[in-house]
Amino acid sequence: MTSWHPTDDDLVLRFYRESTPEEARRVDEHLPACGACRAAWTELEETLRLVDAAAVPEPDAGFERVMWARVSAALPARRSAWSIRQLAPILAMAATVAVAVTGVYQSRGSVVAPAPVKVASAGRAALARERVLLGAVGDHFEQTEMLLVEVLNGPDTGSEFTFERVTADDLVASGRLYRATAQQTGDLQIAQMLDDLEAVLVELARSPEHLDKNDIASLRARIDDDGLLFKVRAATNDVRVRQQDLMTSEGPL
Amino acid sequence: MKQMRLDDAAAVARARGGDQDAFRVLVERHSRSIYRLAYRMTGRPEDAEDVVQETLVRAYRQLGRFESRSNFATWLYRIGFNCAIDYMRAKPRRESPEADDTLDRLATNDGAPSVDDLVYAGEISARVQSALEALSPQERAAFLMRHYHGCSIEEICGALDLKTNAAKHSIFRAVKKMRVALRPLMDAKVES
Repeated sequence: MTSWHPTDDDLVLRFYRESTPEEARRVDEHLPACGACRAAWTELEETLRLVDAAAVPEPDAGFERVMWARVSAALPARRSAWSIRQLAPILAMAATVAVAVTGVYQSRGSVVAPAPVKVASAGRAALARERVLLGAVGDHFEQTEMLLVEVLNGPDTGSEFTFERVTADDLVASGRLYRATAQQTGDLQIAQMLDDLEAVLVELARSPEHLDKNDIASLRARIDDDGLLFKVRAATNDVRVRQQDLMTSEGPL
Repeated sequence: MKQMRLDDAAAVARARGGDQDAFRVLVERHSRSIYRLAYRMTGRPEDAEDVVQETLVRAYRQLGRFESRSNFATWLYRIGFNCAIDYMRAKPRRESPEADDTLDRLATNDGAPSVDDLVYAGEISARVQSALEALSPQERAAFLMRHYHGCSIEEICGALDLKTNAAKHSIFRAVKKMRVALRPLMDAKVES
């Protein structure tokens, strides 16, 4: 048993066979000796197996025919008879600019995980899931904090807010996901914090691309009045401490 | 139609010469698999259909860039993912009462789902789709390419024009969100 433990990201790389041989060997040697990491690995495998089970609703039987009707109506009118002279420069261009598609996606087949390890106890599995939630929420809070700092410290006028809007939009979506899970698992403090943040994130996501001085002042006042920056920093610390406690309490089997 | 017997390479060669019947062969052969990809990216049938159409039209226009030694389906997937990303970025995110409702419903189920619920594939599909919708377009494309299509990180970088670290982190974030979203199902599984 060493003091080294693979991170969740290390496990994801191992699962998808993207680790280097050395990294893979290290993870493979570690898992049988560490209950906490083995539980995290098993939880990862089982979660991604559920993802495999998700079906996509099939379109109707006449889908291909309908799609051809739509596509053919949108195709350029030409194409009746290209002469070699017309085709030659295009082929020459293709030869120089064609995108190198080297992979054979489908030939890889389905994802095959490394050799399974024995199922960990339910308690350890629950702790592993708790660790995942806290890690995700902690990252979410940190990203939100960085965004709020950017809004508070950016230029006062004529700012283009495209990046901030897109980031806020992504954070709204992921925040809802985490809030739903936190509510279900009874983590009401986290759920409430995510709820508080969502209001200002939605406002930012829906703001016009170019904010004038008044818009920016209003947004900053909203952040200040609610004390959001302080709250989100405190929440981040809280989550990180809980994460640390969880890691300490897990330990080897 | 005679061209129905054409393999992809022959159909592409003819379509490049302006033969629309040959292109029709390709459309009919691949539109369903592009639809599955587009549905996972957009989460809505009507949006998925728009993405399929745009993918195929874009592919037709870019046939001259296709390298005949490459796999046509692979090339088409690459265009499909990029079309879906463009589509999602251009179309403002629906203010999602539906998505919210779904998440709330999933999250506030009285008690954990029963074993019957667990085996009910629709529940799993709904949760997975909700989780996919919480990913950014880039995270979603990278995750789907890796998980469902088995693309390597290197291939994902090429298709989405990302650096290695960005592609990896998109997948890490996506997996993290999927694990959180599916946690209730995992908890119920352990309890049962």
